[in-house]
Amino acid sequence: MLVVSRKLDESIVIGDGIEIKVLRVGREGVRLGITAAPHVSVHRGEIYNAIRRANESAAAPDTSVESLVARLRASQKKH
Amino acid sequence: MSTEVGSVPADTAVIAFADGLPGFEHQRRFVLLSGPSFEPFTILRGLGPDAPSFATIDPRTIVPEYAPHVSPQDLARLDAAPGDTLVWLAIVSLDASGEATANLRAPVVVSPASLRGVQLIDINAAAGPDAPAAQYRFDHPLRAA
Repeated sequence: MLVVSRKLDESIVIGDGIEIKVLRVGREGVRLGITAAPHVSVHRGEIYNAIRRANESAAAPDTSVESLVARLRASQKKH
Repeated sequence: MSTEVGSVPADTAVIAFADGLPGFEHQRRFVLLSGPSFEPFTILRGLGPDAPSFATIDPRTIVPEYAPHVSPQDLARLDAAPGDTLVWLAIVSLDASGEATANLRAPVVVSPASLRGVQLIDINAAAGPDAPAAQYRFDHPLRAA
């Protein structure tokens, strides 16, 4: 991991056109401003990781997805 | 769209996910399969060897007023404009106890016109010190359908 020290109003530039700037430093945390092209997706790590875990638990190998759907339909009928 | 599961007809529209899906970032190509044998569900099937597939459902069949915000950035990634028709899909999972839940917090959205898709992730969703990720629940019970 690359570790860089930055102060208020200082920034780092990543690749072509991504800039992360320190906007505020306080006891509650650090506020960052991120400039990137619209097609660049920016996420909070904890949210992204929670969705990643949910996707991984929901994914089925292609060979079993049909049986998954059959079980889901049976689950619906129970309610 | 197609009604087949085991194979994909040559004319099935391929949906491009530029970033894949969280957890499957390298899986960029999917097809959406539908048919009477698995209604109300659809299958988002990855293309390629060992590709993942997902059972999905239109979230509006669960919550009729469902209308999450699509950011300008997500519209750009979809190559879509405000007001364009979009297909909404909630990923469904089945836990060990047989409880089916749908992820309404991070829906998959597809533009039928551009054939591009993204999984919406709200950067302003409740999280952080006041609401840890463990409280970021998206396992909406499907029996509410």
